[in-house]
Amino acid sequence: MKNREILELEVNGHRRQTAARPYDVLLDVLRDGLDLTGTKRGCDMGTCGCCTVLMDGKPVLSCLTLAGQCEGKAITTIEGLKDGAHLHPLQKCFADAGGSQCGFCTPGFLMTCTALLEKNQEPSDGEIREAISGNMCRCTGYVKIIEAIQQSAEVLRARKAGNEGQADV
Amino acid sequence: MLLPRFELHRPSSVDEALTIAARHAGDCDFIAGGTDLLQNYKNRLNPRGHVVSLLGIDALQELSPTRIGALTTLARIEESETMRRELPILVEAASKVASPLVRQTATLGGNLLVETRCYYFNQSEFWRRSKGYCLKAEGDVCLVVPQKETCYAAFSGDMAPALMALGASARLKSLDGERIVKLTEFYEGDGIKRYVLRPGELVQGVELPPSATSLRGAYRKLRLRDTFDYPELGLAVTLGMEGEKIRELHVCAAAMETVPLCFDDLTGSLHGQPLSDSLIQLLGERIVKRVKPVKNTALSPNYRRKMVMVYLRRMLEQLATAGN
Repeated sequence: MKNREILELEVNGHRRQTAARPYDVLLDVLRDGLDLTGTKRGCDMGTCGCCTVLMDGKPVLSCLTLAGQCEGKAITTIEGLKDGAHLHPLQKCFADAGGSQCGFCTPGFLMTCTALLEKNQEPSDGEIREAISGNMCRCTGYVKIIEAIQQSAEVLRARKAGNEGQADV
Repeated sequence: MLLPRFELHRPSSVDEALTIAARHAGDCDFIAGGTDLLQNYKNRLNPRGHVVSLLGIDALQELSPTRIGALTTLARIEESETMRRELPILVEAASKVASPLVRQTATLGGNLLVETRCYYFNQSEFWRRSKGYCLKAEGDVCLVVPQKETCYAAFSGDMAPALMALGASARLKSLDGERIVKLTEFYEGDGIKRYVLRPGELVQGVELPPSATSLRGAYRKLRLRDTFDYPELGLAVTLGMEGEKIRELHVCAAAMETVPLCFDDLTGSLHGQPLSDSLIQLLGERIVKRVKPVKNTALSPNYRRKMVMVYLRRMLEQLATAGN
């Protein structure tokens, strides 16, 4: 049985190397191998969504993804969401709207919602509910979470319109 | 939670995957999305020493109304405009599997082969050790129906009944060659055996008859929550009408027994008849009488059986109206 092997992953835009066992899931490699502890371990069974990261732009459950199956994929974790010193609009709106209470589920929600807003800049409340139906908030603050996502969608739309306006000039 | 130790193999072709599986016969599992397998491994449910990842095999990714590769993710089926237009029942079934996060990596092949489920099986190692192991993992007696021969774990996939109702077949491959098996004949046996797949054989995908797109179809799922849960009942109905009369009618069900059920022997005799309230009632009564769920999921067997009638009526009324 082979033990640890060097695994090369692209995480938050950087090539990273770490030693991993064949039976390590991505969550363990991110948290223990790369010190990216923003990704949380909740149920560890794919039910709660706390461990969500983006893989090639799509939200996936890192607790049910073998690290060895991630080579060649671009991984984005919560640590890669902000732009330099600036929070991502989703992060700021979650803070402003009170979408984060104890905060444990928040990284998972933010990654799921990043993928949602990338695909759909004007989601209805129903579309948001469907998109986050795999993420659980045990503080049950879903109303504020949905408000935060709507606010963030508005900010992103305004930003896009501003950029397009500037481009026109 | 650490997974049990295994060696991970990453072949790039079906033949390579089959060769590796043959080399480790009896101690090997295939893995695609892993959303079912890794959960079970974490619970120490029948883990193997070798796991063969299929994700590097591009040939199993196809998606069209007549052929769907085993590695096609459920999210891709759900988001496909072509599938939404041609085979909406498959989009409906895919969109009801687990949660959107699970569907990003869960594959069609994985859902067809999803491990059968039982209240006494899908538990942690600690829970099972305390209660006593069951026939399906490490024990020698069924804890639902106490005897030593038959496992009663329920088939809990959503795609199989929908595909069966469309007349789909599974494309299987082993080192001995390829074979095509109708999905209605693919599933057989108890909660442990559950299909005719031979050791070391791989499901490459499914193929559908071109006529499937002419059927109206619907899939309904009974579960505790509107997200994530496995089916307590999954009912698929497809209907083809010729004027006011039934040209073709198929009803298939998941989560009632150890394999998905197809009731073509009951619906076949209804072809040529008008779709009336009394016909729906009669068919529903016959199906309810036929199915034999046991007390191994969250809802009572009696309630699950009764819901077959409720869903069948609603779905046939919906499909009849959809055509007008």
